Order: sequence, then C-alpha cells, then structure tokens
Amino acid sequence: MYLGIDIGSTSTKAALIDGKANLVAQKVVNIGTGTNGLELVLAELLHEAGLTMEDVVYTVATGYGRLLCDVADKQITEISCHAKGVSYLVSGTGTIIDIGGQDSKVIRLDPLGRVANFAMNEKCAAGTGRFLEVMGRVLGCKLDELSDLAGASTREIQISSVCTVFAESEVISQLSMGTRREDVAKGALVSIAKRVAGLCKRVGVEPKVVMTGGVALNKNMVEAMSRELKEDVQAAPYTQAVGAIGAALFAMEAAEKKENNNG
Amino acid sequence: MMSNAVSIIQELEAIALSPYKSVMRTMKETGKEAIGCFPIYAPEELIYAAGMLPVGMWGGDTELKLADRYLQTFCCSIMRSNIEYSMKGAYDMLKAVIIPTFCDTLKCICENWKVSAPRIPVIPMVYPQNRRIDAGFVYMTEELERVRGALEEISEKPITDAMLEDAFAVYEAYRSAMREFVSVAAEHPEMINARSRHLIIKAAYFSDKKAYTDKINKLTEALKKESVKPFPGIKVVATGLIAEPPALLDIFAKNNVAIAADDLAQESRQFRALSRKSGNVIQRLAWRIVDQQGCTFLYEVEKTRGQMLIEQVRNTGSKGVVVFMMKFCDPEEFDYPIYKEELERAGIPVLYLETEQQMDSFAQIETRVQSFAEMLA
Repeated sequence: MYLGIDIGSTSTKAALIDGKANLVAQKVVNIGTGTNGLELVLAELLHEAGLTMEDVVYTVATGYGRLLCDVADKQITEISCHAKGVSYLVSGTGTIIDIGGQDSKVIRLDPLGRVANFAMNEKCAAGTGRFLEVMGRVLGCKLDELSDLAGASTREIQISSVCTVFAESEVISQLSMGTRREDVAKGALVSIAKRVAGLCKRVGVEPKVVMTGGVALNKNMVEAMSRELKEDVQAAPYTQAVGAIGAALFAMEAAEKKENNNG
Repeated sequence: MMSNAVSIIQELEAIALSPYKSVMRTMKETGKEAIGCFPIYAPEELIYAAGMLPVGMWGGDTELKLADRYLQTFCCSIMRSNIEYSMKGAYDMLKAVIIPTFCDTLKCICENWKVSAPRIPVIPMVYPQNRRIDAGFVYMTEELERVRGALEEISEKPITDAMLEDAFAVYEAYRSAMREFVSVAAEHPEMINARSRHLIIKAAYFSDKKAYTDKINKLTEALKKESVKPFPGIKVVATGLIAEPPALLDIFAKNNVAIAADDLAQESRQFRALSRKSGNVIQRLAWRIVDQQGCTFLYEVEKTRGQMLIEQVRNTGSKGVVVFMMKFCDPEEFDYPIYKEELERAGIPVLYLETEQQMDSFAQIETRVQSFAEMLA
C-alpha cells in the first residue's frame, strides 16, 4: 500500500493506493500544518481502509508541511503532486488551477500529464482561500455557505481592491450602503476569479481546465472562473485530496524504482 | 577537494558574510581609506588609482527601522538598506560615496544621502543615456575626469596617468580571473554550489582587488586539478539584479540546482565585458560602459539580453533560467517581459522569483525552486 500526505496551510489530506494504482481511501481534516492534523487524518484514513501503518510500503509528503513530515520517505512539491493526481483522475487535462488556503497555483501540463510550466501568486492573499475566509467572516456565513449565498445574487458588484485587507474595508462599506449580502458574496468570488485568471495568463491556458483545492468545492467559484477564462472549467473529483492522491502515486513509483534498483 | 581550495572558499565566504568587519580589516591591512560605491557600475579603477579602497554598497539584511524617514516602501530593498545602514552608522568608515544615477531611486538617493549621512560626502555620477554616440562617449570621459578630480580632492593628492594605468591593470587581472573562475566553477557544481558561488564573487566588494585576485586564481587552479564529476542535479542560468539573501541560495543547493552562469548585475555584469586596448585609461573606462551589452541599466535599442541568456543556457548545458527579481526594481521589471518571451520561444523554462533583502519566510520560494527542479529533472 502506498501513502500520500498533503499538509496544507488550512487542511491535511491523505490518500492510499494499492499496487495497481487503485485509490483505496482518501481523507481530509480541516486543520493544517503545525497542528495534529496529520495524526487525525492518518487515523481516519487507516481506520476506513482497515489497515495500519505497517501495511504502508512507501510514503510521499507534499504541501507546505511536507518538509516537517517525519513519516515520509520522500518530499515532493504540491505542484508536481497536483499534476500527477489530476492526470490520474481527469485524463487529457491541460491546465490545473489550485486555489488553496494561502496561495493559488496555475499548472500547465504537457500531453503526457507532466508539469510544463507553473505560476504561483506572490505573498499577497488576494486570489486565495484566505480571501474567501475573510469575506465569509464579514458576511457572517461559513465558508461552505458562501457559494449558495453567491448563487442567490441578482446583481454583481465589483470589489476592486487587490489587497485582502482593503477589500474587507470595501465590502464593509458596501454592506453599510445597503448592498445585499448575496451580491457581495458573488463579487468576492468574481474578484478571486479575476486575480487567478491573471495568473493563468502568465503560463497560458490549455483546455481542459481543472480546478483543485478546497475552493473548488464552491460551485459558484468554479463557474466564475469559467466565465473569466472563457473556458469550460471543472472541479476535480476528490478536489481537496488531489495532491495527496498524486503523492501516493509518486510513492508507488518511488517504491517500484527502489525495488528495481535493489533487485 | 584540496584543503587549500576549501580554506580559500571558506575565507571568501566569511568575507562576504561580514562586510563591515571585512572592510575594517582590509583598511587596516592596506592602510587605505575607503570609498563607497553604490550599484550598478562605479569607476572603481579611479578610486584604486587614488590609493583608496573601493567598497561595494549592495544593501544587506538589516532590519529597516530608520530608512522610511527618507525612502518610501516602494523603493527597492537595496536602497532602503543602504540608507538604513548609513543612519545606523555602519558606513562611518567611508571617506565618501560615489552614487551613480541608474534608476529613479538612485537619482533621489544623492539628495537623501546628504541628510541621512551628512558627514560622508557624495560624488554623484551621471552616465550617458545615449552611450553609443560620439557625444555620449565624450560626455562619459568628461564625467570620469570630474570624478577623478573629486577623488583627488578627497585623497588630497593627484591621480597621475601612470597611477591610472596601474589600477586599470589590477582590474583587468581581476576581471580576467573572474571570467575564468565562473567558467571553471560551472564544471564543479558539487564543490561550488549556488550559495558559495555568490559569496565568493561578492567578497571582491570588501577586499583589496589585487589580494582578492590572487586568491581567486589559486582557487581556480585548485578547481582545475579536480576531475569533472557527473552532477546529479540541474544547472541553471541566473539573471537579475542580485541573488540574495544567501538563505535563498541555500534552497538551490538543497535541491541540487547549480548556477552554471549568471547575468546578475552584482556578479558577472561587473566583469564579463572585455576592455578595449586602445586609448588612455579614462577612454578605456568609458568604452567599458559603451561595450556592455544586455544590461537593463544601460540603454540598449537592440535588447540583446534574451539572446545572450539563450546562449548562456546552451553553452553551459543549463536547463532553464532563474529570474531573481528584486521587488520594486523598475529597470529589471521593464526587461523581463521581453526576454521571457524570447526564452519561451526558444523552449527554455523560466522560474521567476520575487525577492527582497529582508525576507523571513522562504516556504513559498522553496516550493517554487523544488517544483522547477522536479519539472526539469
């Protein structure tokens, strides 16, 4: 059995695949690096699969917490792991948009599913899940309620501030002028889509376009991204666990390579 | 590796990591007074000819607490660091500073300096915008003569033509030694990693050039005696203003990414252009500016930088180009879209890293560098 672990800034994900590259189990816990998220996600994953760590042959860690993951045999970046995971889950993918908790990444794949180019946002939180968290707080709703709220919008308002902190002030100002929460929620999603579309242009967009990361659970966000790019955009299956699945696939390859070298 | 080479590497790294101590020691050992040289190009030969020590002023990793009094946050961190250091007294050993006006911030720094460090005189220096026309060349020689005169006043002795010839010869030996060093070092990335390479080159700014050149020549000779071994990582070409802070380069070493050649303003741009043999020293110094190619700080209609980078990649067996983009460095940012497009057209991958000298978190950069290495492996 091969284990992939993706320790992100706001969540920890793990996936198990067997020797024939079949996905056996995947789990997500919504606490990230620097917490006990790894212990929790591994306990849930192994419980569901009816396995123990003794059954794991090789482990690859990815995500921001990858370098501090003691149980891993190898560390590979989330860019490579997302490419691997998406290529496995959605064949023919040309571009991956991964909007995570504290950064966003655009990865362009070659026809063989390998990374051909990539771009990441700079330190700024604009265009990341953090932006949505801040908007959700101001709008008094949970992150997973934001999509439905935006879906009830009747008028799109523009949030022009690039900076998350200034955007928060801008939204408060809109609400104080009587703008509906639904319209502000929609404006927030469109704002992220515009930032990420700019990032997409840096590497070039090749269809098919697939979104990964927790933000892709928000179907109105995926639609907003599609409108901005003027391309069909779909959310990957197991969208939060794609990186972990890719890491598990790399674990399988690394173990096979090791065995071949030893044999 | 020969212990001799190891000790030279360690010595030069230590010099680069402690500029203040290094300059004070060099001043003590040589008995020379020091003149500060702001980026990008300063006529160090004139300073050396005056019997003084040219000292590079390329900022550093100091906490910015005082500089905001004179410089906005959108000025590059090198300039803010230099002003910060001046206000903290770190440059009190300098007899004067030469400030060329290569960018909008540098143009203002001449005035900022007068209030941030009033005890250290400024010698401003304006390079010609049209350096390749006759008038530009003549202007350049006159500007160099003016700086020569200013240095004569400060040193209180004339700088003769013979002194200039001697100093120019010292710098020609230095430049030749550096060109050979970077070429030989590219064959030994397992010994000269990205961090070491940068620090070894940087040490020149705080050393007497003659003594430094001797050390570099010894190091190069020691490297040449080593057999060329297969390198398990990847080689890249670095471009930009400066590849700092050193912790950034540790990430390259950790991920087996070696810098096989560079187009960095702080590094190879200082010594890559060959000097002309004709004319007096002032004219030869002016020709060096005329003949410099692919530097965004010197106006160039042809924009040769992209093609130059492509050739560097091909000549060194590199797999990509890493752009060290100093945040808020307008001239470097202006060039980027042009050479990026040329590199991509040539099928050469580009990694863009936005940097500042005051960086605390390297996690995102580490992800980028490691991803780039994984992509190219």
